[in-house]
Order: sequence, then structure tokens, then C-alpha cells
Amino acid sequence: MLSTFALDTQVIKKGLCTGCGACQGMCPYWGSKDGRTICYFDCERHDGRCQAFCPSMPTDYKALREKFFDPASVIPEMGPFKALYVVRAADASIREGGAQHGGTVTALLEFAMKNGFMDAAVLGGEDEKGNPAGVFATTVEEVRKASGSKFKIPPTLATLNKALAADEYQKIGVVATPCKAKAVYKMKSKPLPERDNNADNIGLVIGLFCGWGLEWDGLTELSAKTTGGEKVSHSDILPSKYHSMEFTTTSGTKSVDLDEVLPLVRDVCKTCDDMTCEFADLSVGGARTGDGWDVDKGWNQVIIRSEKGEELFKAALEAGVIEIRKTPEGALEKIKVASANKKEKAKEIS
Amino acid sequence: MEWTLTANEPGKVCLMQGNEAIVRGALEAGINFASSYPGSPSSQVLGMLGNVAEERGFYAQWATNEISALQGCMGASFANARAICIMKQNGLLVSADALFCGVQGGVKGGLVLITSDDPDAHSSTNEFDSRNFAPAAEAIMLEPMTMQETKDMIPYAFELSERHHQLVIVRVTTRICHGRGNVVLGELPEKAHPIQAVDEWDRMNCVCYEHQATLNKLKAVQEEFENCPFNTYQGPEKAEKLIITSGTGKLYAKEAISRLGVAENVGLLALGTLWPLPEKTITSYMKEAKEVLVLEEVDPYLMTQVEAIAGRYGLNIKFSDRGTNVGELSPDEVLKAISALTGAAIPEKRVKQNEQGEKEPLIRRELTFCAGCPHRATFYLLKKALRSEKIPGISIGDIGCYFMAGGEAGFFGYQVCNAMGSGINVAQGLGQLTSYGLNQKVVTMCGDSTFFHTVMPGLLNASYHNSDMLMIVLDNSATAMTGFQPHPGTGITAMGKTVEPMSIEAICLAMGCSVTIADPFDIENTQQILLDLLQQKGLKVLIMKQPCATLKSKQGGPKKTVRVNPDKCLGDGCGCDKFCSRVWGCPGNSWDFENGKAVIDPVSCVGCGVCAKLCPAGAIEVEGGAEE
Ligand SMILES: Cc1cc2nc3c(=O)[nH]c(=O)nc-3n(C[C@H](O)[C@H](O)[C@H](O)COP(=O)(O)OP(=O)(O)OC[C@H]3O[C@@H](n4cnc5c(N)ncnc54)[C@H](O)[C@@H]3O)c2cc1C
Repeated sequence: MLSTFALDTQVIKKGLCTGCGACQGMCPYWGSKDGRTICYFDCERHDGRCQAFCPSMPTDYKALREKFFDPASVIPEMGPFKALYVVRAADASIREGGAQHGGTVTALLEFAMKNGFMDAAVLGGEDEKGNPAGVFATTVEEVRKASGSKFKIPPTLATLNKALAADEYQKIGVVATPCKAKAVYKMKSKPLPERDNNADNIGLVIGLFCGWGLEWDGLTELSAKTTGGEKVSHSDILPSKYHSMEFTTTSGTKSVDLDEVLPLVRDVCKTCDDMTCEFADLSVGGARTGDGWDVDKGWNQVIIRSEKGEELFKAALEAGVIEIRKTPEGALEKIKVASANKKEKAKEIS
Repeated sequence: MEWTLTANEPGKVCLMQGNEAIVRGALEAGINFASSYPGSPSSQVLGMLGNVAEERGFYAQWATNEISALQGCMGASFANARAICIMKQNGLLVSADALFCGVQGGVKGGLVLITSDDPDAHSSTNEFDSRNFAPAAEAIMLEPMTMQETKDMIPYAFELSERHHQLVIVRVTTRICHGRGNVVLGELPEKAHPIQAVDEWDRMNCVCYEHQATLNKLKAVQEEFENCPFNTYQGPEKAEKLIITSGTGKLYAKEAISRLGVAENVGLLALGTLWPLPEKTITSYMKEAKEVLVLEEVDPYLMTQVEAIAGRYGLNIKFSDRGTNVGELSPDEVLKAISALTGAAIPEKRVKQNEQGEKEPLIRRELTFCAGCPHRATFYLLKKALRSEKIPGISIGDIGCYFMAGGEAGFFGYQVCNAMGSGINVAQGLGQLTSYGLNQKVVTMCGDSTFFHTVMPGLLNASYHNSDMLMIVLDNSATAMTGFQPHPGTGITAMGKTVEPMSIEAICLAMGCSVTIADPFDIENTQQILLDLLQQKGLKVLIMKQPCATLKSKQGGPKKTVRVNPDKCLGDGCGCDKFCSRVWGCPGNSWDFENGKAVIDPVSCVGCGVCAKLCPAGAIEVEGGAEE
């Protein structure tokens, strides 16, 4: 079967496209607009990388995991596990300057770039029009500018693919939601060894916890409605007990009931069984300290998954760019429950 | 033999193209006025007339469309001028209102309307048969069968037109227009036909009380046609087997009759007067016949008429034809039909079969845009923009080179194409529905010549009613499809005069449209412009400005060299799947199957460099040439 046809019929038409961008940036046939993946022209290849990298095409994820992680470290509910920390960026200007929570990801990225762990990074930033877009950052300033979570999922892996093809950087870090992370590890596994798009140049993968992403157009409308069309500098989905989503603009923070948001959850996200981003060197999410949202929103929790992830984390901690506080009792258990819950729901759907 | 269109050497034999024969015929008739809109197969006629107009003292014009051309000729005729109007079959339809009314109004100076049909649609969208128009319009129609007849028929038609105060249509087909044959030159008149003052009480009105007069004219013409030299018969005095034909059929039939050796037992009646038909002449031959074979292409025009005649005269005849109403007649077909009529066996082919037997000696090629054609870039960008919509946008085509965009050449770039100037109207209709549940973007396009031809009224309509759609004007500064005839945007006239060109932008603005101008070769920016315009509500005009590649190469100047750097081209290892040669499809982009890499064909390539912007590996390099 033609690869473009396979992706169109088995992924896009079935509503299984995550919009990650793994199929894009390598050829003239695929592109995207407003989070939609588009095949512009038909390709005659049967062995396209688009198909090979797509996280929604049938994949033996267990085998893929065993290729990159110590099977003994795997916790069934949440993947490879070395340690759990509650963390934040030591530099308050990161936390207060647009980071989503504790700014851990931004701080780790900045540190990694300054200290040779990465020479570039693929992030989820914004384009000139303020729309979510893949960002190829090679400077600390660019990393800082791209901080904050994008709930409309930009096809950042298209940016990664382009950067890999250009072959100018050898340690390209990637920040990824779980769907993207799966694709990145598929790339790293070189399913088409002859055409690996320089996968060896993929560096550290920083995973983001993820409940779900939202429909592009729907979220645009909702935020415009909530803020009166002002530019949103920050948005977040609060822990479940608050049942709301917040949009922050220069004139303050407005919140909407989660019931208005839930209909915008992308169908494909309902089929996702990964909350903690199991394919990553380390995964970062919001903290649940038990001290309430005002405290939590300034902290992250980090799951260390690989040796390389551990190495970066330790070095950053030692250098004092991140700081930790005591992990609350039962934190791991809570993640396990939430994570198992997502797996359960995904099973029900598919 | 060397000759010129204006050589006054009566009796000289010249090898002439049919279109040249029309021109020569017009010159020998001493025309005062000529007007046309280009269309294959008769596009060249007015160009040639324009070139000699000054020398021969007449006026020639490329009109913006066929109805303007025909009505201009009517004006000239009103002052007793001899006027010739040239158009293709679709043009005849455009001018239909003028034609039907013109026939009832009559003419003063001779008015000859050349309509060129294109059976098989070699360079048309359809093979519409204009012969049916003659009875419908109650117009006189002639059709030549050879180049000599073509030339001779024009002065004859002018005299006929003046004798009966009626316009005369001369119908020709592609084989006549583009074929060649010997023509004996006639005399060129010393002076052009005299122009006369229009009397206060002269009239050329289309009013119903002229209807009977129109029919009376036809009656008189029919009488004259019973003895017209353009109707010929050959064969036995009383032929039981009769062939009736016209146009190209005559020469094919003559050849077949001689090859089959049936000259003794089959009669060939060839008609040069298609309407009114010389009914008495036809009946006199049909009365003797038991079987009649009618040889004609496309519609069963003659068949229907001669069957009716047989009915009127109670003749018991077995009629046959070539068995299809589609496409041109071919000599082989005619041979078979006459063999079936006469029972004579078809002789062995004298031409040796191609050695590979059945195989066609030529490779079938898709229609495509020229190398470096700006339309390719436009349709590439348009396809991407349309597919970027949640539900892909609707695209409506129009007539011009970009007609080819409906196929592979334009990435299957439109879904509807009707007729000249139709795109704006079809799209305008669709665009109104976006307020009634149609959740798609609507786009149409037209070339610059088509814009002037028939798009302007449609655009005005769309603007006045603020249809929700995007109109793309493919401004390549040329009527490229038919051979670069001047149009109001070019700043030149048929007679070579430089005039102030009309600005499409200014016209659109005057019509109240919002106008954006973009360069289709500026891939990245123009793509964004297209995507953005599609998001805007209401009527938008986007003028894509980039001269026709052929026009540019005609003008000369340094051209850029485009090369594939084989070290950078990833060949089969690239994810591009031969994008440049397979999808982009410019004749300049080729694939070296031996080395598995892209190559540029230096002969075809005009150096536009667009492929270099599209190659995902950056393997195509551009060097030199003039700075943009
Ligand atoms: C769609 C989505 C859903 C999420 N759901 C949850 C959840 O349910 N529970 C939870 O605990 N945490 C969730 N997170 C993670 C959380 O929002 C924070 O990203 C995380 O806590 C890291 O915070 P931080 O302050 O370190 O981030 P920052 O320092 O601001 O860094 C975030 C980094 O992520 C990149 N990024 C942002 N959005 C995307 C994206 N869509 N794709 C790729 N890269 C991106 C940014 O460029 C930046 O580099 C989600 C994130 C996203 C994008």
C-alpha cells in the first residue's frame, strides 16, 4: 500500500492522527495547518518514513521499550522508573517569566545547552502570529521564549525532522508529549536503516505528562470568548478537583468550567494510554504537593527514566539551577492511579 | 515557391496554409475591416491581416471577445464596408445573440463570418459542430473543401452577401485551417471597397417584421445555390450508390474511390453550400440512388437534411454513415465505408507496418505546461492551499492554457470548467451558498485575456453581490494559448500600434474588489498570501503576476542555469519520491534512472529556478541570469 494512502486511511480518516509532525518535514508531500495533518500530493513510496515514524500506525511498543530501557525498571502503570522528585527552577525569572509550572523543563534545557548535554532543542513555541508551532532553539533565549504548555498541539516533530535532515547539530534535545515521544523513539529505533534521517543526532528526550490536547479551532474560539479576544500569555488545566481551565492575559486570569473544555478534547487523545510520557529520559508534570494549587502551580514532579536523564538531572541539581523539595507521601501512588486510570479509559475506547 | 500574402501576381501557384488562403481571399475581396478574437484553429488569420492592414489600407482589430468582433463588423458593414469576422466554434456561441439578430437585421457592405470548427477538439475543449447554427439562425453557410476553394470562396461570399444583403458564414475546420495545398493567386483590387455615408433612413434592425424578408432572402439564395460552382458531382450519370459529403470528406472520398476502383459505379456529390442546401440538385441525384452514404464529421447534419429531403420527395433510399458522431473523419474510415457501400475489397496497405507491429511509434504524453510556466507554480500553491482547509476547497476552472490544470499538469487543480469566462460565474454562485450551509472555500481563476473577454461582467456581478470567494487572475501578460495575440492588457494592437494598456488591478478596484498582487514564483510568501486570503470572507481578487515562460524566452536575455548537484541529490534515498520530475512535472526536470538521481534537461529548462526552491534536499542549484 502507498504510504500516503496508508496514513490517510488508517490514521487520519480514523481520527487517530496526533498531529505530532513525525510524518512531516522530510518530503514535499506532508504538511499541516492549524494542527491538521495534510497530504498535499500523493507519494508513490510503499516504505515511507511518514508511515514508519507515525505513532498511530501499528507498533510493538513493548519491544520498542525494551530496546531503550531496562525492563527491570518498568512499573506497569507508568513505564520505566528510576526516581520521582518534586522540583522547580531555582531562577525565579524562569518560573515567573512564562514557564508552565515550576519551570523545570526550561531550566533543564538551558542547563543542558550551556553544558554540552544538548546543542539544540525542538520545543513547542509560537510562530510570528502567536500560533503554536515547532521551534528549533539553539540559544538559551530561544528556549526561554518557548516556555509554557501549548494545549493546541503543534507538529513539533516536523521541526525535528527538518533539523535532523539538515545534519548541523548532533545532540538535539526534544520536549515531547507522550504521542510525540513514542514517535521520537520509533525514529531512534531506525525502522528504515537506510533512511534514518540522522536519527543518531536525536539527544535527550524530555517528556511532558499529558492528560489530553485540545481541538485547535475550538480552543481558539473558547479562549477568545473567555478573554474577549486578548492575547493569552498562559493557560492551564487545573487539577481535577478545581474542574476548570484558566486563561491569563495582561488584564488578569479568567477561568472557564471544565465542562466547556471537555468537548474540545481531541478524539485521538481519548485513545491514548500514556499519561506520564513513558518514552523519555525524564518526564515532567505538574506537582501535587497537597498544599493547594497556589503552591503546586509553582512546582513540577519529575520521573527519572534513563541513565542519561538521571545524569542531566543530577548535574543540574548540583549546579543549583533546579531545586527540590520533599516528595509528599503517596505521590508515586497517586501518579500510578491516575496513569492506570488513563490506560483503562483508552482500553474502553479502543 | 516563395510568395507573400500581398503579391499581386495573378496566376501564380503558391503552397498555402488554409488560414493563409482565408487571408488571401479577404485581400482579393478588398476588405475594409477585419475583427477577431483568437481561437484555434483560425487564430493566425487576424494576426496576418493585421500585419498587412496598413499596406492594403484596411482596419484590423483584435477584439476583446467574439461578440464585440462581430458587432464591430456590423458597424463597418453599415457604412458599406466589406468586413470579415473570424472566430472559432466556441466564439460563434459567444456571438450567437449578435448572429441571430444580425441575420434578421441584414447587412449593407458584405459581411463574412469565418467560423473554424475543431472536430476531435485538437485544441479545444469540445468539438461543437457549428453547421447546426446555420438553419437555426436562418443564416447562409458555405464550406470549402480545398485550399483553392477556401481562397476563392471568400470573394464569392462577399459578393453573395452584398447581392442578398445578408451575412454569410464560411465554416472551416482544423484540417483546412492547418493543412496546406496549392492555390492559384487571383488579382488584388487596386482600391479597397468604397465606404459610403449612412443615410438617415438606412436601417439594420432586428425586428420581427423582417422575419419573412429574411426567409425570402434564403429562398433566393437557395435558387442561386442550385447552380453554385462550389457544389460538385463526379461519377456515372445515374448512380445507384451515391455518396454525399462536404468539407474534408470530399478528398478522402475521392482517394478511396480511386483506391477501390469504383469510380464507374459510385457517385460523389460534394456540397460547398451547407445552408440553404441546394435541394433540387440533391434530389436529382438521390432520385437515381438506392443507397446513399453520407460522409461527415461530428453531428449528423447533412444526414438529417438529406433524409428529410428523401422523405419530402417520397424516395426509398437506404442511408448509411460512418457509424459515429464523434471525432474527425479519417481516410481509413472513409475507405471502409465506401468499401461497405460498394462491396469492393480494400487493397493491401502499401505502407509497411511499423516493425514493432502494433506498438505506437510515439510515446503518449500527458498535456502539460511549458517548462518554467508560472501556472504550474500557481496551481501547486493553490492545491496546497485548498487541501489545507478542513474540507478541501472547491476550485472552478476557466479557458486558457490553465485549462490543462484540470489534469496532472495542474495537480488536478479544478473541478468544473464550462466555457470562457464561466469560472467567475460558477464560483460566484457557489460563493453565495457559504451563507446557506456550504462550509467550503470557493476559488476560481482566469487568465488576463479571458479576464477582458468575458470575466469582467461576471466579476462585477460577484462584487456587487459580494460572493464569498477568491478570484485568481493568472496574469502572464499574454494570450498564450493561441499564440500571443495582443489583448487590452498588452499595450499593442493588431496593427502594431502602441497604446495605453488596461490595468487589471485598476479595473478590479473600480469594480469594488479588494486586490492583492503576488508572484507565483515567490513560493513561500505567495503560499501564505493564498492561505490568508482563503480565511477572509467576501470577494477577494488575487493577481498572480509572472510573464509567460514562452513570452520571456521570445524576448531573450540571459537565462539562469539550473543544475542538480549530484552530491546533494539523495536520489531514491530521499523522501521526495522523485518530486521534481514526478509531481512538479516541469519538462525541465528529469530523472536519470541509471544513476538514480534528478537531472535538469538544459534544453527545456528556461531557468525559472522554482524547482530549486522546492527540492527538499536543496540539491538544485541556480546560477547566473538577470537579477529578479
Ligand atoms: C497538551 C498538554 C497536556 C498536559 N497535561 C498535563 C497533565 O494532565 N498533567 C500534568 O501534570 N501535566 C500536564 N502537562 C505538562 C505541564 O503542562 C507542563 O508542561 C509540565 O508540568 C512542565 O512544566 P514546566 O514549568 O517545567 O514547563 P516549561 O518550563 O514551561 O517548559 C515546557 C516546555 O514544553 C514545551 N512544550 C509546550 N507545549 C508543548 C507541546 N504541546 N508539545 C511539545 N512541547 C511543548 C515548551 O516549548 C517548553 O519547552 C501537559 C502539557 C501539555 C503540553
